Amino acid sequence: MTDFRGYAEADVTFAPGLTAVLGANGQGKTNLLEAVAYLATLGSFRGAPPDALIRDGADRAVVRGEVERDGRELLLEAELVAGGRNRAQVNRQPLRRARDLLGALRVTVFSPDDLALVKAGPGERRRFLDDTLVALHPRNDGVRGEVDRVLRQRNALLKQAGGRLSPEVELTLDVWDAKLATAGEALARARTDLLAELAPAVGVAYAEVAQREVAVEAIYAPAWSRVDGGLAGALAAGRPEDLRRGLSLVGPHRDELELRLRGLPARTHASQGEQRSLALALRLAAHRVVAVATGTPPVLLLDDVFSELDPGRSDALLAHLPAGQTILTTAGALPPGARPDQTLTIHDGTIVPPAPARTKP
Amino acid sequence: MAVYAAPVQELIDELGRLPGVGPKSAQRIAFHLLKLSREDALRLAKAVVEAKDRVAWCTRCFNVAEGELCGICTDDRRDATVVCVVEEPRDLVAVEKTQEFRGRYHVLGGAMSPIEGIGPEHLRVKELLARIDAEEITEVILCTNPNIEGETTAMYLARLLKPLGLRVTRIASGLPVGGDLEYADELTLGRALEGRRELEG
Ligand SMILES: [Zn+2]
Repeated sequence: MTDFRGYAEADVTFAPGLTAVLGANGQGKTNLLEAVAYLATLGSFRGAPPDALIRDGADRAVVRGEVERDGRELLLEAELVAGGRNRAQVNRQPLRRARDLLGALRVTVFSPDDLALVKAGPGERRRFLDDTLVALHPRNDGVRGEVDRVLRQRNALLKQAGGRLSPEVELTLDVWDAKLATAGEALARARTDLLAELAPAVGVAYAEVAQREVAVEAIYAPAWSRVDGGLAGALAAGRPEDLRRGLSLVGPHRDELELRLRGLPARTHASQGEQRSLALALRLAAHRVVAVATGTPPVLLLDDVFSELDPGRSDALLAHLPAGQTILTTAGALPPGARPDQTLTIHDGTIVPPAPARTKP
Repeated sequence: MAVYAAPVQELIDELGRLPGVGPKSAQRIAFHLLKLSREDALRLAKAVVEAKDRVAWCTRCFNVAEGELCGICTDDRRDATVVCVVEEPRDLVAVEKTQEFRGRYHVLGGAMSPIEGIGPEHLRVKELLARIDAEEITEVILCTNPNIEGETTAMYLARLLKPLGLRVTRIASGLPVGGDLEYADELTLGRALEGRRELEG
């Protein structure tokens, strides 16, 4: 990578198995994982805006990765331009849209912020579902993008209407509603299909991580889906309120993924430890669903997760980590159960040992 | 605080108003222009003025035209009963290149996009409706871009046109979704035209 976060230039080769990245806080461990994840998702798993990923003083950043998939070597390149369009290429062929890079590399990220999956508002859980959908199939990025775009258009129209429904606005709103209904139902259908696979997998993963059998439920059942006429019907019914508020109040962007432990909402009724186990279980379950569906396990990125876990959960997580390429960072000592194939140390944005010299293609 | 002398800054500002030109490109183009010889720079300026003075909008279909009507509207070998609705003149050029279409056009001047403040009243929708009876149009092909705004505009027009009792069709899917007509290759766009399907009202 070049000029990514704090790295002016860095070149790393990761072991096919487990790579441990050590170093004190603030040295650039998470940034390294963020660069790998960027090639997979074209975004920051920390939610940072693109410009924040470019090194101070530079006007572009480049992340380049040689990956092997299904026995094929791929050279993936993503370029972030400050205030401009991002570009990507595969095997030196420029892609028409950077988004076409999605699917070439997949990652599953575990981070200390994952507790928010259980504790924070529904937005975190929707993002988790939709990110998993995109990892399952890149075309889902288009489905999600279409909903976002139609919503922005509809909200703009609602604001311009200023609470009044003239015949002109009504006719225009009708077509945006029809568009939102189609796009929104497509996204909800994809989420529902995903839940059919994901919900049982979350139960299994929870039992592994928490080391006890507890009834775990993950339910996606939007209220609008029970309205006559589905989303179109709910949009029609909610139109007066939407007009009054100048906002779209019904749709997949307001849905909840309900998490329950022993029949009770996990957000309010589970202990902190149970919430942590559940967050890990969600990530593990998504990882397995994607691995089975795509035939290739995503690369596991574990960002300093052990600092937040008690020894029991750390060992349980390590014991149940799926086989495949894994990169973990830690500021402290490695958990006793970890047996890395490779250890890297990061100090002040420098990675030791450096990648061995390779003959460039 | 002005960084550049006023005339330079003015040039950068003007260039920055062009579509797809950001502040950095505006700067780059401005300095490129300043490096040109006086003759080269004047030739560009003259081309802009000439085009602006001599080219107008066809009063019937709003294509670019050198007179009252464009070349297509004055060509009486073309089928006046079929009209292809496009967003911009450049989309018309894309359809023409397929050589699959022998009717006339109607250029809307964009697509519905509330974010950009564009509603149907900002497009040449009324003008299209006025043409239906006047020109005895029997089929309207909605050839707006295969993206969200283009699809929505097509749906809107279909709802206005269907009650008038004419055939309303939409180019077939198969075009790259989210793309623009102008980027579709001729063969793909030609097939999309041929495979157009009738829209429900
Ligand atoms: Zn004309």
